[in-house]
Amino acid sequence: MSKPTPLQRVEGEEIMALGNSSCQGCGHATLARIAFKVLGKNTVYTSVPGCIWIALHDSLPLYWKGTVFEGGGALISGIVNGLEINGKEMNVVGFYGDGGTADIGLQAMSAAAERNENVLWICADNEAYMNTGGQRSGLTPIYASTTTTPVAKESRGKKSNKKNIPFIMAAHNIPYVATASIAYPNDLIGKLEYAKKLRGFKYIHVQSPCPTGWGFEPARTIKVARLMVESGMWPLYEVTEGANFRLTYKPRELKPVREALSLQGRFRHLDDSEYEYIQGRAVDKWRQLLDVDGKKLPI
Amino acid sequence: MPHTELMVGNKAVAYGVKLARVQVISAYPITPQTTIVQYIAEFIANGEMKARFIEVESELSAMVAVQGASFAGARTFTATSGPGLFFMHHPMMEGADLPVVMGVVHRSNKSMQPDHTDLMAQRDNGWIQLYCENNQEALDTAIMSYKIAEDPRLSTPTTFGIDGYILSYTAEPVEIPDQEVVDDWLPLFKPKWVPDVNVPLAEWKKYQGRMYGSQKAWIDHDTKFRSSLGVIKEVHRDFEKVFGRGYGNGLIEEHNCDGAEAVIVAMGTIASTARVVVDDMRAEGNKIGLVKLKCYRPFPADEFRSLAEKYHAIGVIDRNVSLGGGGNVFNETRSAIYDMEKRPRILGFHTGMAGEEVTPQMIRRIAEKTLKAVKEPIGPAVEWVGGA
Repeated sequence: MSKPTPLQRVEGEEIMALGNSSCQGCGHATLARIAFKVLGKNTVYTSVPGCIWIALHDSLPLYWKGTVFEGGGALISGIVNGLEINGKEMNVVGFYGDGGTADIGLQAMSAAAERNENVLWICADNEAYMNTGGQRSGLTPIYASTTTTPVAKESRGKKSNKKNIPFIMAAHNIPYVATASIAYPNDLIGKLEYAKKLRGFKYIHVQSPCPTGWGFEPARTIKVARLMVESGMWPLYEVTEGANFRLTYKPRELKPVREALSLQGRFRHLDDSEYEYIQGRAVDKWRQLLDVDGKKLPI
Repeated sequence: MPHTELMVGNKAVAYGVKLARVQVISAYPITPQTTIVQYIAEFIANGEMKARFIEVESELSAMVAVQGASFAGARTFTATSGPGLFFMHHPMMEGADLPVVMGVVHRSNKSMQPDHTDLMAQRDNGWIQLYCENNQEALDTAIMSYKIAEDPRLSTPTTFGIDGYILSYTAEPVEIPDQEVVDDWLPLFKPKWVPDVNVPLAEWKKYQGRMYGSQKAWIDHDTKFRSSLGVIKEVHRDFEKVFGRGYGNGLIEEHNCDGAEAVIVAMGTIASTARVVVDDMRAEGNKIGLVKLKCYRPFPADEFRSLAEKYHAIGVIDRNVSLGGGGNVFNETRSAIYDMEKRPRILGFHTGMAGEEVTPQMIRRIAEKTLKAVKEPIGPAVEWVGGA
């Protein structure tokens, strides 16, 4: 299992160059800085279209390859096999967004996980297609207002719940699945370091709030990210050896979801019954996770 | 010593891939391609071939996976047919610098039998396209494709096609060259750049970005791609010298053309039938010859211009159609010769579509009409032969 580690304890140099073209307060930039410092220079990383490719590509001096939006899982499979057959050991990383993971990228990712390719998949989840102007994705939460689920007379935002990709990945029985948040860097670093040492398919799903798309002050990115965790809407856990489930952060008491959601413009329209639905679901899911904490998942 | 075995076209392709010491293969099953990768999977399983087989969930992933492996420095192969090829279209537009090699077993979009519309739908991707007439040519072209694709002046993806069923599942005697001779002729893949922590990244990034982001990128890409015609001829000449077999000049082959007044142009297995027809007609005193087109992309326009200087009529057989636009080879042939002062007549014939049999009688009719055009204007210039 992973062990929380502060950034100061991570050896090696900073990979990410100063300055990048992401929006102010972009969670992905924080994530990239942490992730690549942990992974180190002996890393090939890959992109599919999205915020990461556009905003961060030029500030990451590492070997890089981009591919078609739907091809992330196949690309890292090809790279790792091509390296290994020539006797090379490098970290091969897919650093993709929620669309490239959960929607258009799901098929190739699932196949790569099923083959247990020796790669690390980092899903930087900002919960919509932010690079194209904030259209809903399969990872957008219910009732969120996006540019394709706008709130208006006949619409209350996104109609369906967020897809549970970490559990879908856990059901592939791969060596490691974890959720993480940029507001909990020690937890995130511990998970990255643990994953780095394992062979096989590793999946880390990081919630990365987007000031532009979620509608909050750029200075509040970490605060929003923390409240999403503390309210139970983004629980932090890991699944090791294909089934062992463990919550890696357990707030003594969940904060009300309203505290997290009221900071975000995309939820400005919520009425009491909608808050109640989200609140009920967060508590219900949290209890279910507490029930299986420290146990084997039936997958 | 090279030895000869009776084998189907798909096995000949698999042997070519094995002899080329391919390191990473990725493919998805589709008729009539499937058995190529089954043979390869067997070679790997029984230890005859030291390679990784990535068993992907789709053709699109197969293409992306071999591109990734090629980027990582491995020699790669994939194969597919008709609909699978259409699914690869998106990633085929990428990877301009990656010397991936692909075998296509032609399958129509209107039956499981062959026509060339599948590969010709990938006409504009910047992939070198070579077409094969028989199983020996399939094996030889597989080996040659690597030498062409990996040529440091090019580093360009290359594909070769064989007609589904007619070759894929039909056995012919095929000479298998010695591994040592192939090893000597085709050394291990040494790409210019591979991911390596010790390589200066700035230079690599500059190299990577050079064919992206502007109109100049298109110009550079087109210039590089066109230059592959010379490389193909050179590689072919070299192959002929070492292995004692050749296919015209690597781009086109003129068969029984001495003293001909008119020629017909054919691709793939139709060329095989056409040889017999042309030989018969020559014996009867008709001045007709055959031109086999092996390389469709880049289009060997210079070759066609020199044909146009020698012959007074050219009948182009297209086993393809650009719906609403005509035969691809016919159109490009006419376009290639347009600026010449003395132009021969160019006739077009669509035939063999959806795998319909192209008989010697049909080819004879095409040849006779082409011969007639030497003397008199003849219409219509384009017709469908068969398919009633």
